[in-house]
Amino acid sequence: MRGKVAVIGVGMIPFGELFEKGLETMAQEAYINCLKGVDKGIDPKEIKAAWFGQWSGGLIGQGTQGGSGLASMIGQMEIPITRVENGCPTGSDTFRNACLGVASGVYEVTLALGAEKMRDKPGVESLVAAGGGTGAGMGMHPSWMLGGGGPSIQALYATRQMYELGCTMEDYARVAVLNHHNGVSCPYAHYRFEVTVERVLNSPVVCWPLHLLDCCPQTDGAAAALLCRADVAKKYTDKPVYVLGSNIGMDHGNLWDKHNFIEMLSTIRAARGAFEMGGVKPGDVDFAELHDCFTNTELMNIEDIGFCPKGEAHKLLREGQFDRNARLPINPSGGLKAHGHPIAATGLGQICEVFWQLREEADERQVKIKNGIGLQHNVGGPGFGVSGVNILSRTP
Amino acid sequence: MSAPAPASPLFWRFNPEVYRLIGTKCKDCGHITYPRRKICPLCGSLNLEEHKLSRRGTVQTYCINWTVPPGLEPPVPIIVVDLEGGGKYQGVITEVTQAEEVKIGGKVEMVLRKVWTDRGINIYGYKFRLVEEALR
Repeated sequence: MRGKVAVIGVGMIPFGELFEKGLETMAQEAYINCLKGVDKGIDPKEIKAAWFGQWSGGLIGQGTQGGSGLASMIGQMEIPITRVENGCPTGSDTFRNACLGVASGVYEVTLALGAEKMRDKPGVESLVAAGGGTGAGMGMHPSWMLGGGGPSIQALYATRQMYELGCTMEDYARVAVLNHHNGVSCPYAHYRFEVTVERVLNSPVVCWPLHLLDCCPQTDGAAAALLCRADVAKKYTDKPVYVLGSNIGMDHGNLWDKHNFIEMLSTIRAARGAFEMGGVKPGDVDFAELHDCFTNTELMNIEDIGFCPKGEAHKLLREGQFDRNARLPINPSGGLKAHGHPIAATGLGQICEVFWQLREEADERQVKIKNGIGLQHNVGGPGFGVSGVNILSRTP
Repeated sequence: MSAPAPASPLFWRFNPEVYRLIGTKCKDCGHITYPRRKICPLCGSLNLEEHKLSRRGTVQTYCINWTVPPGLEPPVPIIVVDLEGGGKYQGVITEVTQAEEVKIGGKVEMVLRKVWTDRGINIYGYKFRLVEEALR
């Protein structure tokens, strides 16, 4: 993978409660922004294949999407388009597939686009209608999966993390404080307000030990990236961003098959493979956009990717080591906590942020670039058994 | 238009996993899982045997869900249990509403309970009950 693929442009729309926009409108706006994001311009006819990230359409009554859905939305009937669905890392995997299309040598330019309508259903129904990653809700097994949802899986981890690693609900709240603070200055974020530890702990309990403000919001959004062969990238921009590693990691979807509840093997495997592909180490990374669907999840991610040993993330957080001006900024964009989590758009939105940060175009949320390497991560799907990690760099 | 009546849940009784708790154990790596498999999900071995899960175990982790699926009354306490003799089980705890009542490492056992009602038909399944140490 390393040295073969470049990102030449990205585009997204401000995430939010976009009741006035359909899936089509959002996807089209992200696509247009992405085309405009190519410095020297691109003719849409130069795009030779596309991958369409779409998770929930059929599950929440908006029709199951296929590649033809995106073809129609962006007026690209002459190219092959494949729909990708792989749980919460759908955006990561859509990007990965578009990378593979280029790296294989088959296509010179490819498009990865993800779009998701989440708010047309109320929050609880939306998560439950889609199974919440657990097969939760009704009609499933009478004993195994009763009464759960997306938050309950991470709440089971959060309880065990506190018991085994010594972190507290205050530490979880500190993740929300940091990410909401970062999100205030991101024009693409859904929530742009500060929170305090007290406000998080006083917010309603969604699934003990997780409070409302420990959870990312339900949000609509779309995001896209254009990829091309590294050796022709300069035709489109003088500042391409190169793909070092792109990987998806698996773990059991059933919670009763898990080896423990303090780490996620899906993330560990995704990160290990991506670092191997890129020939780089966690210590080489300047900043990371990590999947903070829940606050405890972010602490696990920091450890599972290898940024610090297990049980250390909450201590480093207390010391301010993940602040935007610190040694390893985490979620300088505000993450899912501030942006929300429009599933298939989430990973590609993070890719947009990594692209802008590496090109030092992130305005007041700009982090210090030393090695010129940024990392993007998602984790989720049934039992949080799917994770995606993409590592991008200023140099091939 | 009214929804069609559900199929009788009674057929579940003939499924070995649901009430008789039959799973599989890998003879190579020892991993215990359910529903029954022909291939071990952990190591890929085809060398599996049927394994009857214990109804007793200890709490590996738990949470108290206040945003439950429609049709259930919150709170629903959810636990993952380390079963005696190996394997884990995911389920709900009955007769508990507060997080403080549950302890990691605490002993629990399965009891048969009505778990919900689907258009007039009762659906039964196992729930976990905290085991009083003094009674043991």
